[in-house]
Amino acid sequence: MQVALKIWRYDAKTGDKALREYELDAPEEATLLDCLDIVKDRQDGTLAYRKSCRMMICGSCGMRMDGAAVLACKVRMYDIASAGQVPVISAMGNLPVIKDLVVDMDPFWAKFKAMKPYLQPGYDQPEDGREHVISQERMNVIHKESLCINCGCCVSECNAWDAEPEFLGPQALAKGMRFVGDPRDAAKVERLDAYSGEHGIWECTRCYFCNERCPKGVDPRDAIAKLGAEAMKEGIDKDMGAKHANWFVTSAKTTGWLRETELVPKTQGVVSSIKEMKFAMGLLKHGKVPPPFPPHVAEGVKESRALYDLVKEQGRDGALGIVQGERALSRLEHAAGDGHASRDQADVTPGEEPTRRGGE
Amino acid sequence: MDAKHDVLVIGAGCAGMRAAIEAHDAGADVAIISKLHPTRSHSGAAEGGINAALGNAAEDSPEIHAFDTVKGSDYLGDQDSIEIFTREAPGDIYQLEQWGCVFSRGEDGRLAQRPFGAAGSPRTVYAADITGHVLIQVLYEQLVKRDIEVYEEYFAWQLVVHQDRCQGVIAWDLLHGGLKAVGGKTVVLATGGVGRLYRATTNAYACTGDGMSMALRAGLPLKDIEFMQFHPTTMYPSGILITEGCRGEGGILRNSEGERFMERYAPTAKDLASRDVVSRSEQTEIDEGRGINGSVLLDLTHLGAERILTRLPGSRELAMVYAGVDPIHEPIPVRPGAHYHMGGVETDTNGLTELTGLYAAGEVACVSVHGANRLGGNSLMETITFGRRAGRAAAEWALANTTVEVPASATRDAERELKALLARSEGERPWRIRDELGQTMLENFGVFRREDQMQKQIGIIESLRERYPSVIVEDKGEVFNSDLTQVIELGYLLDIAACMLQAGLARKESRGAHSRPHDYPTRDDESFMKHSITRWADGAPELSYKEVRFTKYLPEERKY
Repeated sequence: MQVALKIWRYDAKTGDKALREYELDAPEEATLLDCLDIVKDRQDGTLAYRKSCRMMICGSCGMRMDGAAVLACKVRMYDIASAGQVPVISAMGNLPVIKDLVVDMDPFWAKFKAMKPYLQPGYDQPEDGREHVISQERMNVIHKESLCINCGCCVSECNAWDAEPEFLGPQALAKGMRFVGDPRDAAKVERLDAYSGEHGIWECTRCYFCNERCPKGVDPRDAIAKLGAEAMKEGIDKDMGAKHANWFVTSAKTTGWLRETELVPKTQGVVSSIKEMKFAMGLLKHGKVPPPFPPHVAEGVKESRALYDLVKEQGRDGALGIVQGERALSRLEHAAGDGHASRDQADVTPGEEPTRRGGE
Repeated sequence: MDAKHDVLVIGAGCAGMRAAIEAHDAGADVAIISKLHPTRSHSGAAEGGINAALGNAAEDSPEIHAFDTVKGSDYLGDQDSIEIFTREAPGDIYQLEQWGCVFSRGEDGRLAQRPFGAAGSPRTVYAADITGHVLIQVLYEQLVKRDIEVYEEYFAWQLVVHQDRCQGVIAWDLLHGGLKAVGGKTVVLATGGVGRLYRATTNAYACTGDGMSMALRAGLPLKDIEFMQFHPTTMYPSGILITEGCRGEGGILRNSEGERFMERYAPTAKDLASRDVVSRSEQTEIDEGRGINGSVLLDLTHLGAERILTRLPGSRELAMVYAGVDPIHEPIPVRPGAHYHMGGVETDTNGLTELTGLYAAGEVACVSVHGANRLGGNSLMETITFGRRAGRAAAEWALANTTVEVPASATRDAERELKALLARSEGERPWRIRDELGQTMLENFGVFRREDQMQKQIGIIESLRERYPSVIVEDKGEVFNSDLTQVIELGYLLDIAACMLQAGLARKESRGAHSRPHDYPTRDDESFMKHSITRWADGAPELSYKEVRFTKYLPEERKY
């Protein structure tokens, strides 16, 4: 098949940047990575990109296609080429470009290392020198986080990192959850405390781009949500983000509504809120916030309170309560319970191309 | 010399990282150099599992594991190595678990163990079908914990042999450019295999035999280098691996007529016979016209969606992306593909080569636990157990000896050579040689080996080697010049190919992965129950033999 690609070439030494177009002949099963190889072999040996396993496990070939992060070895070119599209290939975002499609991964690994990404032993150490005895169900809590191949696609797309490069970022935080959720780790509370700092859990803007673009289904945003929930459970809620989230819960439990007028003081504190008074009065004047008194209680508030009690009763107020985090497991339940019909539907992960299925 | 360390490990896969961790814990100053970031190493692509006789799923013992391994090796494995291996494996697994490795669990919460080919008991510990990935992650975590220095994206080029000792390596700094001389009182090779010699291979682009070739050029011998394992289930056409775990979970191989053909070739073990047996059966089916597009079919459809989704989710995704089939609904087209090199740099049971200061572990080495055929799940275990032993031995020697010196001449010579290579502006691009080599190796030195084809392949390799010196590097730059490293890698491939053919042609028998059904269809213990030893002398491979080390397992016919 005939494939055309536009590739952003970049030379960090001279700062030269150019969008070059390449046309090539590739076998029908070729991936984007195969196409880059053909360009490098036969057209331009100076093209630089990373690669190794070509089977979605080494995490080397993260790059952008038409502005969205992909693993080059995971993208089959057939549909794109047959539709006559000419995708634009560029280096990942949020990381400095070194040459063409190669980025400097140092900032990425620095965040990884900042998580103290290794098991802190000492908790329930097996006495017989053998393995810890833990149920598979318990280990499933960190199943998705342990799939991460450190490719950087999530960091490339992270809007919070773009705004604040000090943000720990989706990959590092997912790695953090991999330890927080591990029953063998002795440092859960210390970790949650450390990850709740200024550029941690609560700096995430919840845009879900990381979940969308992760090629391995790690769903880093869900991991961050689980970290937040676990932190709350441990009473680590000093950060404004935590206070903000806490107030949503309190509001819903007490009135069934969001008590907006109290949201700012509960999040930022009273002193800082006073500075916002003028702005708040303006909002009030234009009917943008409800008056604080008398408290506005929703008609069905009992339902909201019952829901709150149920979550507490079932012990689902930590990571286990994160509904998104159970997407992978719910997929399995669908498959087991209802047979084929519902599985196909439950199986589509947002951001993934639907794949051709047998029997269709 | 740009830097020096007590122990310098080349390669950052499972063996390299395990060696570095052990050397560090023994008190040595350790560094790793690797052409890839450690987590990118090809150990991470291992899917099925890692063997240790824990006895969690059924009764098992190191002795049974040793017997299976000796038999699987077609009696070419060194039995003292194998006994150390199976005895120390369980402790190594417990250690990995205590470091936090995310292994799958059984009903009782202990490590789950699944059946694997040619194993007398279900002893393969696993993490769904991403076992290598979780091992790489846990080892890298431990590396970070110890703050072990890693020269990332440094391409090892030449071993420094000075005063009859290996004292370091000359490497090319991929990210910044420039040759760097890194000294080590001891050096551990852990560079992996050379699957890229074949057009159909499960191996990553990085698997180009760097360490084997560097050792060969430094005068060291390669042992049993003719033995390349062909994995029976690599996808058509990419060669990407579908784990043996699929058959462990109950997957069945079928030919174009829908027949479960393994029942004919291995009535007892059937689809879970040893890898060489299954690969040969598949190739016979394909050669006799019962294949589809040069492949057979791996059928998982009867396992049901839940089992596939929980036990084999990675394999399912691979099949969907690279073969366009969902194994829940339809079978996967598979064929034998080059997978693992049983042979490698000869070492003793502590990883020491015949050169003082140089150690080797993992696929680059031949210690030899796999002999003529490796059992699935044994290679990951080998990287850990012998990586540890090599790291320990390298550290102990380094700590007892004080000097390290890389003579300036070594760097100067390398620079001159590099300059000449980059200066070449007329000649051919390397890809044609690489592709011809891969295609012809598959045709002439694959699952079955014939005298005439091997003779022909020797001629082809000679002519490719003659073309190689005129290959041109198009990228003349310093920064991330992978064009340069690919040319050097091609040189490594050509070295190993020549050695394999020479040793293969001379082995006039069928043993393990070396199968000559047309002229020498049986094993010949009298003449060939010995290791081939290949050195590079006067521009060509030079062959000799060495006795197999026996303990208590006597040769018998291999039947499954």
